[in-house]
Amino acid sequence: MAHVDLQTGEDVTVWRILEDGALPDEAGEWLVPLGRLKDEAGSLLEEKGVRIGALIETDTPHSDLAGIGNYASFAAIRFPGFGDGRGFSLAVRLRKDYGFNGDIRAIGHVIPDQAQFLLRAGFNTSEVPEERREAFVRAVNRYKHVYQSDTQGGISVLRQRHDQAGARRVS
Amino acid sequence: MYAYDTFDHAMVNARVEEFRDQVARRLSGELTEEEFRPLRLMNGLYLQLHAYMLRVAVPYGTLNSRQMRRLAHIARKYDKGYGHFTTRQNIQYNWPKLVDAPDILADLAEVEMHAIQTSGNCIRNVTTDQFAGAAHDEVADPRATAEIIRQWSTFHPEFSFLPRKFKIAITGAPKDRAAVKWHDIGLVLKKNETGELGVEVLVGGGMGRTPVIAKTIANFVPESEMLSYLEAILRVYNEQGRRDNKYKARIKILVEDTGTEEFKRLVEEEYEAIRAGFIDVPAEEVARIRQFFAPPPLPVLADEDAGLDALAAADFRFRAWVKNNTFAHKVPGHVSVTISLKPHGGIPGDATDAQMDLVADIAEEYSQDEVRVSHEQNLILPHVAKRDLVAIWQKLDAAGLGAANVGLLTDIIACPGLDYCSLANARSIPIAQAITNRFDDLKRLEDIGQLKIKISGCINSCGHHHAGHIGILGVDRKGEENYQLLLGGSGEEDASKAAILGPGFDEHGIVDAVEKVVTAYMGERKEGETFLAAYRRLGPDVFKEAVYGAR
Ligand code: HEM
Ligand code: SF4
Repeated sequence: MAHVDLQTGEDVTVWRILEDGALPDEAGEWLVPLGRLKDEAGSLLEEKGVRIGALIETDTPHSDLAGIGNYASFAAIRFPGFGDGRGFSLAVRLRKDYGFNGDIRAIGHVIPDQAQFLLRAGFNTSEVPEERREAFVRAVNRYKHVYQSDTQGGISVLRQRHDQAGARRVS
Repeated sequence: MYAYDTFDHAMVNARVEEFRDQVARRLSGELTEEEFRPLRLMNGLYLQLHAYMLRVAVPYGTLNSRQMRRLAHIARKYDKGYGHFTTRQNIQYNWPKLVDAPDILADLAEVEMHAIQTSGNCIRNVTTDQFAGAAHDEVADPRATAEIIRQWSTFHPEFSFLPRKFKIAITGAPKDRAAVKWHDIGLVLKKNETGELGVEVLVGGGMGRTPVIAKTIANFVPESEMLSYLEAILRVYNEQGRRDNKYKARIKILVEDTGTEEFKRLVEEEYEAIRAGFIDVPAEEVARIRQFFAPPPLPVLADEDAGLDALAAADFRFRAWVKNNTFAHKVPGHVSVTISLKPHGGIPGDATDAQMDLVADIAEEYSQDEVRVSHEQNLILPHVAKRDLVAIWQKLDAAGLGAANVGLLTDIIACPGLDYCSLANARSIPIAQAITNRFDDLKRLEDIGQLKIKISGCINSCGHHHAGHIGILGVDRKGEENYQLLLGGSGEEDASKAAILGPGFDEHGIVDAVEKVVTAYMGERKEGETFLAAYRRLGPDVFKEAVYGAR
């Protein structure tokens, strides 16, 4: 598996998942299940050189994300299957309702045809099978215009038609 | 009619190229069928009993002649010379080859059509009133609103992987010809005291194994904030809709489980949070889109026409056609014409390539270049001068399109059933044909009056049997096709669920049962009382007695 920047296809740091009850065995970037993070973020962060992110499952009620910026500097949403669209709404909530501006990564089962949707919902990196890296990048660049404005700076053509400056960012 | 600009063209062309690439990868074996399946479904390509099936969207049911000719061309070149118009304002082709699918999409793109969001768990083609823009009773043309929703929902990044498919219907008239209460979201255009345009919002309708009639959660959302309201509903549904069981994944189940009031509260909370944002489109864009649907410049004409009256007096079939197949227009001297795709013994909704070409020609000459597809599987010429009716009827009749049965018992909606559909338990088409053969006398049909029969080959309800005055549902009983009889449904503003009358029948028995129901109605009805009104007054017992009593 590769971990890539959705826009460039370049490699990004791999975040390791901290198993239940385990402690980080070395410095680096660790994903901790959201529930555990709420209780233990303080102590985990005392470990030397450790950066902590939230591991969020798609069945998480979005209200559980409140205050997430206080203890997580990045987040991964784990898709059990590519058809589980809840992950998209969670990312939108993170950006829109909880003002989260750290990296948001899609992990688990996502497909290249979703690349642009992921980006526009607020994800900026994704776990992808190595052989699909190319397909992801191609998919991000396939559609030059979008029909919906979004928090990521996409401006709907419904607005662009009336905005000479077309490229003006919204958020 | 809406015309694509460079943005719309770019989007649809990119889609064609994407699919061309995916099909090539499938044909070379790079993609397995399992991986390819969701990709083809996103382009309306199903795998059915005998072959692939391609479902093409006719957004809000509106076509121009060029588009209709292109549909004919596709039927001729890539299929067996016909297409099937469905209850969701789509057309289905039953025999395309996989290798041709990208070319078909390219042919469609050239005339500003596509198969985007005709399947999959996304927001599907928005449907509306087939008489939109022409109907005498209309508050506003719903097609402009539908086009705004079409664009907002196309490739929506957050709502392309919902718990289930999602259907929105909209009506611009108080008389509901779009079955809005049977949709996941139903919208009714209204004006408030100050003349501002807005929508009443209903949620949670749907058919399938759990039929539910949608409930109103907002009486008036200004058009300028409608997309925010829809986005709020979709977000709540995407987050909270069930995903553990596909039969419970529809929004109707969420609304029932949450309670309508609580669901409304959740939606309004989200709506309040986003309505001031950037989701809705600017007023200039709404105005731009509305312009495309400006009423055509029709002259005010005399309401009487001597030629029409003369033929009507001489020819009973023509008289019946004018009575049943025309609908009052906004502009005096005009009507909308419904072309019945329900000839006796025919397959409901089927049209041949030649028929499609003919309808295109007639629309070009006599109906402002416009054709519509109705959810009742018929075609409509929306803007016709009464003085042209004789000429139009003669052309239609010569091509087998002159059936005068719109709204009558033989104007049957039927799904493809076991003849094509891999999910079917029973055939639908032969049942529809047998009923039309039994009731083949137009005078008798006229005497029976308004009566809607709707047939589905399985519980999925593609043929709307729950909303039929008489509904027929094919079920599988120990390997035998069996047909349940339902009575009392309605798909209009007085929507109601049809109820099962009693034990089912075999394919011959069901036709007899329909006849017994009709005979009982004829015996009991009061002057001018329709079948549905009589059923509502009498209840099921009279009909039970008529159908099962003699057993
Ligand atoms: C042969 C191809 C077809 C397949 C595989 C198919 C599949 C399905 C399935 C699985 C459902 C149930 C989903 C649900 O629970 O809502 C459904 C519902 C439906 N389909 Fe089809 N269908 C086909 C053809 C058609 C045709 C030809 C029409 C129109 C005549 C149609 C219109 C509808 C409608 C209106 C519903 C009702 C859904 C609702 O409101 O709840 N489908 N279809
Ligand atoms: S109702 Fe059933 S049999 Fe008929 S088309 Fe739909 S899925 Fe197929």
